[in-house]
Amino acid sequence: MDVIEVRHITKTYGRVKALDDVSFSVGRGEVFGLIGPDGAGKTSMFRILCTLLLPDGGTATVDGFDVASQMKEIRKCVGYMPGRFSLYQDLTVQENLEFFATLFGTTIDEGYDSIKAIYSQIEKFKDRKAGALSGGMKQKLALSCALIHKPSILFLDEPTTGVDPVSRKEFWDMLSMLKERGITIVASTPYLDEVRRCERVAFLSEGRIMGIDSPEIILDRFKDVFNPPGINHENVIGSNGENVIEVSHLVKAFGNFRAVDDISFSVKRGEIFGFLGANGAGKTTAMHILTGLNQPTDGTGTVAGFDIRTEHEQIKKNIGYMSQKFSLYEDLTVAENIRLFAGIYGMKDDEIKTKTEALLRQLKFEEHKNDLVGSLPLGWKQKLAFSVSIFHEPAIVFLDEPTGGVDPATRRQFWELIYDAAKRGITVFVTTHYMDEAEYCNRISIMVDGKISAIGTPDELKQRFHQPDMDHVFTYLAREAKRGD
Amino acid sequence: MKQFVSFVIKETRHILRDKRTMLILFGMPVVMMLIFGFAITNDVKNVRTVVVTSQMDHQTQAAVNRLAASEYFTIIATVATPKDAEIAIRHQKADMAVVFAKNFASKHSGVQIIVDGADPNMAQQWTNYARQTLFPSENSPLTSHLLYNPQMRSAYNFVPAIMGMLLLLICAMMTSVSIVREKERGTMEILLVSPVRPLMIIVAKVVPYLLLALIILAVILLMASIVLDVPLAGSLGWIFVVSLIYIALALSLGLLISNIAKTQFVALLVSAMVLLLPTVMLSGMLFPVESMPTILQWVSAIIPPRYYIQAMRKLMIMGVGISEVWHEVMVLIGMTTLLLTVSLKKFKTRLE
Amino acid sequence: MIKYLIQKEFLQIRRNSFMPRIIFIFPIMVMCVMPWVMNQEVKNIRVDVVDYDRTTISQQLVHSIEASNYFIFNGQKSTYQEALKDIETSTADIILEIRDGKFLIAANAVNGTKGSIGSAYLSQIVAAKITPTAANIPLDVNTLYLYNKGQDYKVFMIPALMGILMMMLCGFLPALNIVSEKEKGTIEQINVTPVSKWSFILAKLIPYWIIGLLVLTVCLVLSWLVYGITCQGPLGLVYLLAVLLALFFSSFGLIISNNSNSMQQAMLVMWFFVVCLMLLSGLFTPVRSMPDWAYLTTYINPMHYFADAIRTVFVRGGGFQSIAHQLLALSIITLIMSVLAVASYRKNS
Repeated sequence: MDVIEVRHITKTYGRVKALDDVSFSVGRGEVFGLIGPDGAGKTSMFRILCTLLLPDGGTATVDGFDVASQMKEIRKCVGYMPGRFSLYQDLTVQENLEFFATLFGTTIDEGYDSIKAIYSQIEKFKDRKAGALSGGMKQKLALSCALIHKPSILFLDEPTTGVDPVSRKEFWDMLSMLKERGITIVASTPYLDEVRRCERVAFLSEGRIMGIDSPEIILDRFKDVFNPPGINHENVIGSNGENVIEVSHLVKAFGNFRAVDDISFSVKRGEIFGFLGANGAGKTTAMHILTGLNQPTDGTGTVAGFDIRTEHEQIKKNIGYMSQKFSLYEDLTVAENIRLFAGIYGMKDDEIKTKTEALLRQLKFEEHKNDLVGSLPLGWKQKLAFSVSIFHEPAIVFLDEPTGGVDPATRRQFWELIYDAAKRGITVFVTTHYMDEAEYCNRISIMVDGKISAIGTPDELKQRFHQPDMDHVFTYLAREAKRGD
Repeated sequence: MKQFVSFVIKETRHILRDKRTMLILFGMPVVMMLIFGFAITNDVKNVRTVVVTSQMDHQTQAAVNRLAASEYFTIIATVATPKDAEIAIRHQKADMAVVFAKNFASKHSGVQIIVDGADPNMAQQWTNYARQTLFPSENSPLTSHLLYNPQMRSAYNFVPAIMGMLLLLICAMMTSVSIVREKERGTMEILLVSPVRPLMIIVAKVVPYLLLALIILAVILLMASIVLDVPLAGSLGWIFVVSLIYIALALSLGLLISNIAKTQFVALLVSAMVLLLPTVMLSGMLFPVESMPTILQWVSAIIPPRYYIQAMRKLMIMGVGISEVWHEVMVLIGMTTLLLTVSLKKFKTRLE
Repeated sequence: MIKYLIQKEFLQIRRNSFMPRIIFIFPIMVMCVMPWVMNQEVKNIRVDVVDYDRTTISQQLVHSIEASNYFIFNGQKSTYQEALKDIETSTADIILEIRDGKFLIAANAVNGTKGSIGSAYLSQIVAAKITPTAANIPLDVNTLYLYNKGQDYKVFMIPALMGILMMMLCGFLPALNIVSEKEKGTIEQINVTPVSKWSFILAKLIPYWIIGLLVLTVCLVLSWLVYGITCQGPLGLVYLLAVLLALFFSSFGLIISNNSNSMQQAMLVMWFFVVCLMLLSGLFTPVRSMPDWAYLTTYINPMHYFADAIRTVFVRGGGFQSIAHQLLALSIITLIMSVLAVASYRKNS
């Protein structure tokens, strides 16, 4: 018998059709994937199934109960983890978990087994406030909170965005355990390896179901969306290029905690340098020091020839930066954002004008020139943010998880922009959790527990650790991590 | 029940962890009480007075001495012409001038008081006091009697007003912000999808703020009677009962705001604009309602703190029984029922 | 580059659904409603008369009371107890009792000002009726009210309202704006650019100063059109004072926003200090009536210097000389605050 029945569901917001005649069904104990680009209507679908939204048309039943009329019954039997699951920042890790356990009528002890694999990683910080955890740690705690009870149906809306590959694997192992207990799971994800772990997936695009089938068939049928051909680029960077970033024995301590613990490396001009590491390994902190947002506790370094301790304002003139959080002004239009940041870097009015035209043409954004940035889909925003960050032709651009939560096709277009920039001689310093992107880099470093545990070209690393691909290299190194934060 | 308790504990933790807000929540009543109790007074005191006389004879000297001896006036200078006095007032060196005519001694008359009229009330008071000090009238058949507050302490007037303002602020603003915060952060989605009943979510949110409000009420009352010497003339029991009704009203208002507002910022602004501003301006807290134009008097009739403040002034300061305030209490009960029904009806169990 | 930043602020203000409304409604509210509300004039005092003597004098007094602007005759009561009941239910404010040729005025003094002014007015009415017969002292005192001849409370309050307005527009709004950039994370993006901290701060403040001065101008015009109240002294000084006050509150808001993480926190802290500064400034009550400890705080309270100075200029028609002392004090306090504000903003920690 089907646990979830969706029949001709439609949902519109103003003029936008978020869901357009969507029908599918999920069997008991199935792991069902809901995939598609950003803005395809996945979140609306989840909300309708959880009775948080009323559909405009069509019917849906969950466990035999109607989503429109039997709200109370459904809410008793489902578990839901929204995309931006947010914890109570001012409660400690344990208090958060305890609260959610009680909320769902269970206790930490009762539910401990089902969350052990992930919770044990953060258990040592159980007295720390959730707000003081790093981004990935928060996500792990959120996962623990969502899984502490055993609902008969579990809805997970992009649960692993921003989580490192190792923890993602552990999370899906946990889901497999739940499935064995007969729990039905509906999940959405931008990661292909996770899509492959679903039994069936529905591909949603612009509010319509494009196909429902096994992951292999869907990924194959829509391979230009999910599996774009790899990018060919010749490694033009010789080993004789000059160093634009040089760091030696860099340390950043917060009290007794050494977030960055004695790291040294250098990056050459025009290189694409991948800066990898598990959540909380210290990547963001290191990046903040290099971009002049933070002072190092110890160690020395230069960026674009300027000292990171004393000449941070000089450094800022020569770099571009795009952060994890989306960093353009949502209440300004595309053109206004470009003009603002170009102006900040001292470009002249006419120069801005001509360059803006060129950029918009290149991005095929001309007709959206006067749209508010807040109204654009995430993938477009990210592309735009990147273009803005290199608009003033900096020597180096720093990208902090620029493609988090973006679908494969858009990520691919994003990397084309990165290659373009590298070709023009801009050094790219990038962090990411996507291991396919790691392969795109000229050189990568992998940070574990605040130290750099490996550095080299992707091929070198694969050979050195005898692993087939970067994913395995990363898992191999990150499994050795002692601390979770 | 266990869920309820853990909910209340969680909510209490939110409040206790936010040290700065806590400090303000408890600091504000204390500072407000001190400021209103001591510093904000319309007492006539230290009025800077200039004496204008061309010849200081015996009679004039006696009159000036009477002024100087009183605690109300401070003689700061003696000048020859009214013009000089006026310049002193314009430069804010003096507030008032007493001009003695040349023939003051012989005729016992011819005194002019020149006063800085910028603040009309104070100007009026100053001249009244000056007149009485210069010519004390004995054996007048007229006696005046100031009931309830013979020393004219402004604290008597302000303590009930502060209670009305702070209770509203704490209950309405804090509850609305805390509910909207959950909406904004996305935790509300999870709470709604959980098996917990929506009504319980609301009640559990409100309980800690109710307790907080009662504690603050107690602090205010204690400070009023110990530090400010404001008598608690009426029955303490009734004061708490009426306050509880008022707190319930404020909490329903908070709930209503949280239904409308989507972000914390909007909740804050709505609380400030819709609650705080009218309370301070139109409730009769600082500015007497009778002096306003009729339209504004009508507007003030729908402002809940007006009734609470009036009831408290009667119960606490005048010491009348509950039967004398039944009108205000009924209005408060009516408003509470209305607001509570509307806000519970409007509480959304789904997203939009 | 500051040009681009200022442009951005204006665009954001325009896009915001709330800001343009505030800028439009605020001056109208402040000038057309507030002066009527912030009125401490004592009037409409309800009087109960109790006449045990049953003479004609009580009739005459009732006539005088009815004729007066200050009083409303509430009714004749047969006993004092009955009248007191009226006071307890707040249907009357003052009792005038006549017994054995003696007059007793009993006023509800919970609101001290109202009680005392009310009983003073009533005394005058009674005295006027009875003194002609018992006149032994010629009370020849006349009073000259300077500056505010009509004894209009609005003349007193309007300059104060202008101060409050500058404080709200130039203190609260930029502070909240900065905290909201912090919450959204866009401030981090600005911090990695070469924008100097001066440009950043000035770009945040200048739009609000411009708006503040614009709104101030509208208020001055409104006050002339609606009430016929105009500035008696040089107008330039009014603007100078407003700018100084705006600078102070902007700096103050900046310090608070640099030290808060959420809007709620910033708003509460700001509100707390602002209320204290305002209440202790003499805007509403005379500073010299305060106890010594409170009076001492007025020496460092910029709002106090502002209130004093703006009333001198606006109401009393004073010139530069009259307010030189206040201007100096205000400038020093503002300067110190601005230095602290700039120091509190850090691009690199």
